Amino acid sequence: MSNPNLDQVLQTFVSESTELLVQMEEILLALEGKPNDEETLHALFRTVHTVKGGAGIFGFDAVVDFAHIVENVLDRLRNGQVVLDHALIEWLLKSRDHLSGLVETVSTGNEPEPALIEDGKKILAALAGYAGEKHASKPGLPVEATGRVEREDPRESISVTNEAWHLSVRFGADVLRNGLDPLSCLRYLGTLGEVVSATAIWDTLPEPAIFDPETCYLGLEVDIKTSATKQAIADAFQFIREEIRIRILPPQATVADYLATLEEMADGDAPRLGDLLVKMGALTTYELEEALRLQAERERETPPPRMGEVMVENSLAVPEVVEAALQHQQQRREQTATARHVRVDAGKLDRLIDLVGELVVVGASQGLLAKRLGDSALTESASVLSRLVEEIREVALRLRMVQIGETFSRFQRVVRDVARDLQKEVKLEVNGAETELDKAMVERLADPLTHLVRNSLDHGLELPADREAAGKPSQGTLALNAYHDSGSVVIEVADDGRGIDHQRVLAKAVAAGLMSHDAKPSHAEILQLIFEPGLSTAATVTDISGRGVGMDVVRRAVDALRGTIEVESQLGIGTVVRVRLPLTLAIIDGFLVGIGGSFYVAPLDMVVECLDLVDAQGNQHRGYLSLRGEVLPLLWLRRVFAAGDVDTEVRQSVVVVHHNGRKAGLVVDQLLGEFQTVIKPLGEVFRRLSGISGATILGSGDVALILDVPALIQHAIVRTTVVA
Amino acid sequence: MYQLTKGNTRSTAMQAVAAAAAVVEMQQYLSFIVGGETYALGILDVKEIIEYAGVTRVPMMPATIRGIINLRGKVVPVIDLGVRFSGVPTEPSRRTCIVIVDVESGDTRHDMGVLVEAVNEVLDISPENVEPAPAFGAAVRADFIRGMGRVDDRFVILLDVRRVLSVEELAQVQTLAASA
Repeated sequence: MSNPNLDQVLQTFVSESTELLVQMEEILLALEGKPNDEETLHALFRTVHTVKGGAGIFGFDAVVDFAHIVENVLDRLRNGQVVLDHALIEWLLKSRDHLSGLVETVSTGNEPEPALIEDGKKILAALAGYAGEKHASKPGLPVEATGRVEREDPRESISVTNEAWHLSVRFGADVLRNGLDPLSCLRYLGTLGEVVSATAIWDTLPEPAIFDPETCYLGLEVDIKTSATKQAIADAFQFIREEIRIRILPPQATVADYLATLEEMADGDAPRLGDLLVKMGALTTYELEEALRLQAERERETPPPRMGEVMVENSLAVPEVVEAALQHQQQRREQTATARHVRVDAGKLDRLIDLVGELVVVGASQGLLAKRLGDSALTESASVLSRLVEEIREVALRLRMVQIGETFSRFQRVVRDVARDLQKEVKLEVNGAETELDKAMVERLADPLTHLVRNSLDHGLELPADREAAGKPSQGTLALNAYHDSGSVVIEVADDGRGIDHQRVLAKAVAAGLMSHDAKPSHAEILQLIFEPGLSTAATVTDISGRGVGMDVVRRAVDALRGTIEVESQLGIGTVVRVRLPLTLAIIDGFLVGIGGSFYVAPLDMVVECLDLVDAQGNQHRGYLSLRGEVLPLLWLRRVFAAGDVDTEVRQSVVVVHHNGRKAGLVVDQLLGEFQTVIKPLGEVFRRLSGISGATILGSGDVALILDVPALIQHAIVRTTVVA
Repeated sequence: MYQLTKGNTRSTAMQAVAAAAAVVEMQQYLSFIVGGETYALGILDVKEIIEYAGVTRVPMMPATIRGIINLRGKVVPVIDLGVRFSGVPTEPSRRTCIVIVDVESGDTRHDMGVLVEAVNEVLDISPENVEPAPAFGAAVRADFIRGMGRVDDRFVILLDVRRVLSVEELAQVQTLAASA
């Protein structure tokens, strides 16, 4: 596997397989509701089939063998020979997990661990009952040696199962005399894909006495797995096109096609050539019989009709051929759908975004230069350029954003499995799946979210009997919601379970020494306590949660993402855990202000209004002002940021911001207006800095800092409380 | 800081010996001046040298962090080595430069700018001319020193980038409440 190209292909195989297996899981979970949707069953079959195909290319026999059995079950399923019940879904889900494990193991070049193999055997033993008696006797072993030839249900046999292109070539007698080497064609074919098998045909080889060494008597039957087009394959023989007879059959060609090939190429001895094709794996015995039967039937009639007519007259065959053709078309369409997605290394995207950012800056300075020169044509062209660059920047930034829906849908499985273990009935609701956030963020969110979901399932939602006793529907609801709010992304995990008992949390907190006996905290403050380490209110410790390590870990993870977390809960009605996250790389609308020679940006959604600080002179230590009769606390950013004393000559301005229902006035030197901005993370060195959430690069190339308004307000409150 | 060095004399000396042993393959160093003293960094750690301009101050950060710059669309922190070494901020002059260094922290690599008074030259120092750091008496903390490079008849302090630009130490921030 040292070939770098192959490594790349291997990576594609792994990521595609992972995707397919995720898809398989989704389908299985969807099927649990309505088990007999034919389209879905086909889709299910295709997922495993494709994984198997990919694994076959790399010779991952462990994957191929296992997938083969699963595929058999799925095949029988879609043919209606097996009924999809809950037990089977359970086993198929396990098979999926096993396949996923296998793919991961073999792709790293390791052999599967004995434990994994044991798992596989268990699953196969269970599946054997569904796969038909043929496999029941020896689960775990490949059924056909190559894993590529399958015995199909008779109704589908008109289209053969061979997934490789089949080439029948007969070289002309003068090929060698003209200085052409048939072998080079074969070598060239090898570069197009994987030659599965190649067999030489020398039926026309004469007796040694009359053998002419300069005459070519050779023919070839080749099976090749390739993504190349028919034209590309035919091109392999371009130089000797005049001298050969060739037939190229696409993967899964119809039996009729093979029949025609047999007739044309075998020079009368079709069965013999047919047997050869079976040996090569191009055809199954059954398919050959079918073809020969068709041929025999046709021969009985006089005069012999043409092949196509046989097919048309054969009322049985025609719809199936048409169906096969349709199916093929369908696959084509699916292939184009996947082709619309391109996998790109995240690092390359970042590089692109950086470069575009640079382009923006250079474009802006070029615009300034053009203006200075006073050349109107140049100015015009510079402004068109900068508009285009802006557009490119926006598109480039969107590339990194992904929808959260994919992460949410992973929880279908978690909810299903955990609910089953706990004997609870739970329905998962997903809202706002289209909400976009940075891909890096999405990845780091998966763990804390899983924690929260498990917590809700375990502690929040009650057993069906308890729910009914409380007058609630026996099926509980767990909701995952996502939406944008005030320049951040909010993700909620909500349940309609028993809620959190404030008194119990308080009692626990007092017992754990987190709170003094005489403290009178508010409800919100009490709820915030559940994020303290070492506080679990679960009466019983279960497998899933309740060991007192949970919510504090979640909070740390959210903190690391510069987010906040809060809980709302009503006893008996339910709990909502709300995680508020910055967008990191998202584009937000900002409001630019100047403070002491530096630029700062406030997220525009938090800005309510701006006003002049009329009586600022001599009143610098004033902590609030009256905004239409309302008290507005003021934050003098110059002082907070230690940027020197306020210059009394400069009239100060106030930016009124709001967050969580609180309003505050930020006192700044200059108001510079709105603009769109990209948050650049400040990096590790600044990770303990609060009050500043990131940086951004202005059109002039200057760096501006982005204000973390909630943190600023929070700190102002803390400071006031401490002082008081 | 000086006392701390004295207290740890033995262990730091041993570390320095180990560090000096690791220097072996690296033979080219970029020398520069901080606080009048000459220091050098392995040339492989240096990405580029840029003019001192456009540094944006980040409030609530200690003086060690001079600010951030826009390095072709990337926001890069700039560390004032004058403050880091002796607590004296570097006064910008015509020769002041920012040396962009590739720093490894955990499993990520990132760029950091190092503010220096002036950049001198690239030195060739063969491994046998690298002496272990003196236990004390050097102008900077002993653990910052990877070795002493002998050039002609004088010594140049070869810096240990990972220690000098330790993200752990640099990330120590004054709290917002305290600064106001």
